[in-house]
Amino acid sequence: MAGLYRPRRASEWATCAVAFLLIVLGLPLLIMGAELALLGGSLYYVVAGAAIIAGGVLMLMGSVAGALLYLLAWLLTWPWALWEVGFDGWGLLPRLLGPTLIAVLVVFTIPVLRRIQKTSLAQKGIA
Amino acid sequence: MSRTDLSAATALCGLVLLSAVAGSVPAHAQSAYKEAPPGPGDADAPGKPSDNRFAGPSPFAPQAPGVNAANIPDGPPAEPSEATPAVEQVSSHPAHDDWPAYGRDTDATRFSPLEQITPENVGRLSRAFVYHTGSKPAPGQVNKWAAETTPIKVGDGLYMCSAMNDIVKLDPATGKEVWRHDAGVKYASIPYTAACKGVVYYTSSSVPEGQPCHNRILEGTLDMRLIEVDADTGKLCEGFGYHGQVNLMKGMGESVPGFVSMTAPPPIVNGAIVVNHEVLDGQRRWAPSGLIRGYDAETGKFLWAWDVNRPDQHGEPAEGQHYSRGTPNSWATMTGDNGLGLVYVPTGNSAADYYSAMRSPEENKVSSAIVALDVKTGSPRWVFQTVHKDVWDYDIGSQPTMIDFPGQDGPVPALVVPTKRGQTFVLDRRDGKPLLPVEERPAPLDTDVKGDPRSPTQPWSVGMPRLGLPDLKESDMWGMSPIDQLFCRLKFRRAKYEGEFTAPSVERPWIEYPGYNGGSDWGSMAYDPRTGVLIANWNVTPMYDQLVTRKKADALGLMPLDDPNFKPGGGGAEGNGAMADTPYGIVVSPFWNQYTHMMCNKPPYGMITAIDMHTRKVLWQHPLGSARANGPWGVPTYLPLTIGTPNNGGPVVTAGGVVFVAATTDNMLHAFDAKSGKEVWNDVLPGGGQATPMTYEYKGKQYVAIMAGGHHFMMTPVSDALVVYALPDGK
Repeated sequence: MAGLYRPRRASEWATCAVAFLLIVLGLPLLIMGAELALLGGSLYYVVAGAAIIAGGVLMLMGSVAGALLYLLAWLLTWPWALWEVGFDGWGLLPRLLGPTLIAVLVVFTIPVLRRIQKTSLAQKGIA
Repeated sequence: MSRTDLSAATALCGLVLLSAVAGSVPAHAQSAYKEAPPGPGDADAPGKPSDNRFAGPSPFAPQAPGVNAANIPDGPPAEPSEATPAVEQVSSHPAHDDWPAYGRDTDATRFSPLEQITPENVGRLSRAFVYHTGSKPAPGQVNKWAAETTPIKVGDGLYMCSAMNDIVKLDPATGKEVWRHDAGVKYASIPYTAACKGVVYYTSSSVPEGQPCHNRILEGTLDMRLIEVDADTGKLCEGFGYHGQVNLMKGMGESVPGFVSMTAPPPIVNGAIVVNHEVLDGQRRWAPSGLIRGYDAETGKFLWAWDVNRPDQHGEPAEGQHYSRGTPNSWATMTGDNGLGLVYVPTGNSAADYYSAMRSPEENKVSSAIVALDVKTGSPRWVFQTVHKDVWDYDIGSQPTMIDFPGQDGPVPALVVPTKRGQTFVLDRRDGKPLLPVEERPAPLDTDVKGDPRSPTQPWSVGMPRLGLPDLKESDMWGMSPIDQLFCRLKFRRAKYEGEFTAPSVERPWIEYPGYNGGSDWGSMAYDPRTGVLIANWNVTPMYDQLVTRKKADALGLMPLDDPNFKPGGGGAEGNGAMADTPYGIVVSPFWNQYTHMMCNKPPYGMITAIDMHTRKVLWQHPLGSARANGPWGVPTYLPLTIGTPNNGGPVVTAGGVVFVAATTDNMLHAFDAKSGKEVWNDVLPGGGQATPMTYEYKGKQYVAIMAGGHHFMMTPVSDALVVYALPDGK
């Protein structure tokens, strides 16, 4: 059944919070990024925003794929950032620091999401 | 209409602007907004004022109370005259230990021959004393303070002014106040900023040594007075002007306190005090005149006037008349050349900085330029323009420096002219011709401001290293995270930007880069004549500008200072301005994220550069200022990272091989090794160090002084502390 899972334990609540955070941060990226793309600017932000929101939504649904989607977006941000500014530390800071901190949080949700996924599959199996 | 205005009108009616200006001449006389020149005829632009609250006073209206601050009787209009023959001044050949003028010497080198402090021992500097001027905002007063003061030192005195123009003499070793002259400047007279860059030391040619007022301290005040006091006692010099003072508002026409001000020390050249003044930006097209005047240093008598739109009249205007309104003003520190009998006037823009359709051809020739005036007559000998038809507030803020330029056939008397654009022009002082190549390069022309075309070319000093970074790109936008970075990328894309000189725009914002804080602002440069090394600190601070229709400006409540309904805070000089009498107002802010107050472009925001004038090669260059006192939402990060901050205030270079500069928004005084550029020492000041330091020796000890007054626009902490350093005894 596609739907939101009900968090019970603290770790599940925390995972839920991370998922919400992704959506909240992804929305401005998507909206402003769309305008930026329309004005002829970088396409990175609208694409990243969409991926991050999708990741957050999937995580809310208890899918580990959501976390992996975020991590993929994060991973691809590195070559993009290096392509845009090279090894300029000040240039890399806004592009990589925040996303990396969030990537750490997302990594911690993977075991939790795995467990949720297993439980729900098991429940499906039983049903 | 008066005769003066008729002649001004004749001068105004140039070929190019004939049709546009014809309508403005009566407007000038009657100050009727509706008579603004036709041209930018948007449906909601010129035409009828939407609200008679915005109708301005006539330029012929009497001056508001407080404009003639000391109530000095005017007397009849003065004819041009000649200065009392002068004796040589100490600033022409400063004593080894002294710093007798704002730029140390007449040449404005900011070079001191002192060598006690070196890169090796500078690390041991400690505070010798701190002197409090007592001038800072009272509780409840909006902070408009930025003292910007550089003291001078002559013999046994350290002389300086407070931000509000009180003059003091201090003991150079202890900072003890020897005397104080209370100038009585009122808060209402503060223009954009309560600043007093410095005082002038003058030795009389008629009063014998040993008598009062043989040596005098001269200053120009925020409320437009010249004051001369005795250097020994601080008492007014009775023989100067009216009991020691001259009213500089005579002949200026309608004005209110704070509209016109002096913040820079006026040079004395061959006996003539040359007076310039700041006219508050962004108020109205027909603001008080920006003229330059000469006064006798000995007697305070009027000598001559240089009024751009009355070029042949060097006397004071007839009774009931006034100097021509709205002409380019000069607020920078000027440089006097006793040898050539010239004063080099760094000019700004005509009033209403961002709209040029109502300027006369005469104004267009001399704005944002160096004008060399003959100090005997007040007539220009030559003009070198650094920006044509400036609508970017690229007025020249720096004091030019006189050097012997290493030429092929020996040294040439040269003038180094720093600009806000970061273009440094090197001119022959005799004729104003560039000594290094200057190219006229195409500039952007696209603009939706009707009837106000831009100059097709602008001058570039290609023979000097540019004090600037390449044009902005979207990927240069910055932030703490991708989100605020994206916000800035969007701001960048929403604006019009075609590189330097992007023309003004009504329909959407435009990016002004370099911004009006420079490049080089008022800090000026330091030059070591022994090594030929030029030191410059500069800014990388783009601005975000937009013209707004009169209707919108009215809706924003933008009003000029002299409007009877003006409320303080309604429109400032650096920021939103009414530009009354024109079809547009101006909205300006730094190109920043207005929520976090972080600049939109990536660091650095400030740099320091050393240039070898023999080869015009950069010897060293690096970001200036740390991130310690800066951060998002104005929260200090305490990070000791050299990020390069905006900076206001100049450098000093010494024979000991040390460069001192404060200026940065990290509130520090920095010392660099002049050879390598390595930062060898710094100290945190009690307020922002937005001033140029100075150094002197007294009783065998070298001192370094910095006014840590802060700067309201730079958002650094205000203080009234002059901090003076020296090496500890026994070393």
